[in-house]
Amino acid sequence: MELKAKGFTSIKALLVEDIEVCRLVLSTFLLRLHCEVTLAMNGKEAVDLFLEGKKFDIVLFDKDMPVMTGPEAIVKIRAMGETDVKMVGVSADDHAMEAFMSVGADLFVPKPMRMEALGPIIQEVINKKKNDMV
Amino acid sequence: MDYSNLRRQAASLKKGLFDQGHLDEQFRQVEDLQDEASPNFVEEVVVVFFKDSGRLISNLEQALEKYPRDFNRWDAYMQQLKGSCSSIGASRMKNECMSFRDNCGQRSVEGCMGSLQKLKREHAILRQKLESYFQVTLEAPPCQSWCHDRWIISINLLTDVCMFTMQLLRQVGPAGAATRPAM
Repeated sequence: MELKAKGFTSIKALLVEDIEVCRLVLSTFLLRLHCEVTLAMNGKEAVDLFLEGKKFDIVLFDKDMPVMTGPEAIVKIRAMGETDVKMVGVSADDHAMEAFMSVGADLFVPKPMRMEALGPIIQEVINKKKNDMV
Repeated sequence: MDYSNLRRQAASLKKGLFDQGHLDEQFRQVEDLQDEASPNFVEEVVVVFFKDSGRLISNLEQALEKYPRDFNRWDAYMQQLKGSCSSIGASRMKNECMSFRDNCGQRSVEGCMGSLQKLKREHAILRQKLESYFQVTLEAPPCQSWCHDRWIISINLLTDVCMFTMQLLRQVGPAGAATRPAM
């Protein structure tokens, strides 16, 4: 499912989260930051999107999800050669950071995600994208 | 309708939710996402939260029965509920989730059962308090429309006064002269 902030489509974000309320809040944060948001309900759906050739600038993963976890999905996506896309682990689990960083995530942010934390992350992705275009 | 009184009541209810520890700063983050384009966003999030949390609690209760002493499984379910509580700032519920997970770590069935009962109690209390809060906020429209209505009323009143004054002046005629009614 794609959500689009009106008039702004600069950053393509994929949010991988199985809990609906978490998806609702985090996707709204991303929309407020002018991201074009795609939603996936678990790691497998995220992997499938990449297999379909979809491109994203940033992917935010919850850790524990049915079918395929966030770390498992990161392993598969990185193995496809997607080394440029920023992968962010997001979890309320105190032990999640190690699980994400050990499989190639760029960043881990504990839940609950705050706008103050997400804003600089998105800005960094914007800056990188602008530099790559130059 | 005394909107100012209702707005005070809503503010008091919300303050109580924070002062009593039911909600934390994350709820304000959610409130900040509400705007004119999404005027009922907070209520929508709360509705989704209670749908999610009700389902997760039900799943956990089934797991407690179907998988006795499977603390890893119980912990996994509670981890999901903790994440859900965190996302809207349901602080007391989140604390009970953590207590349950501690009891899983200590492999205490009795402790887990006790934590679950407390969690369900907090869930019910939070639902009831938020329902009361939203009921009042529905009756007291946001300040923009309330102020707009007051302006409209004021303008209409001013218009009526002006027209009345003009009619009066026509009857009075030039300054100091009174118009005798036609005989």
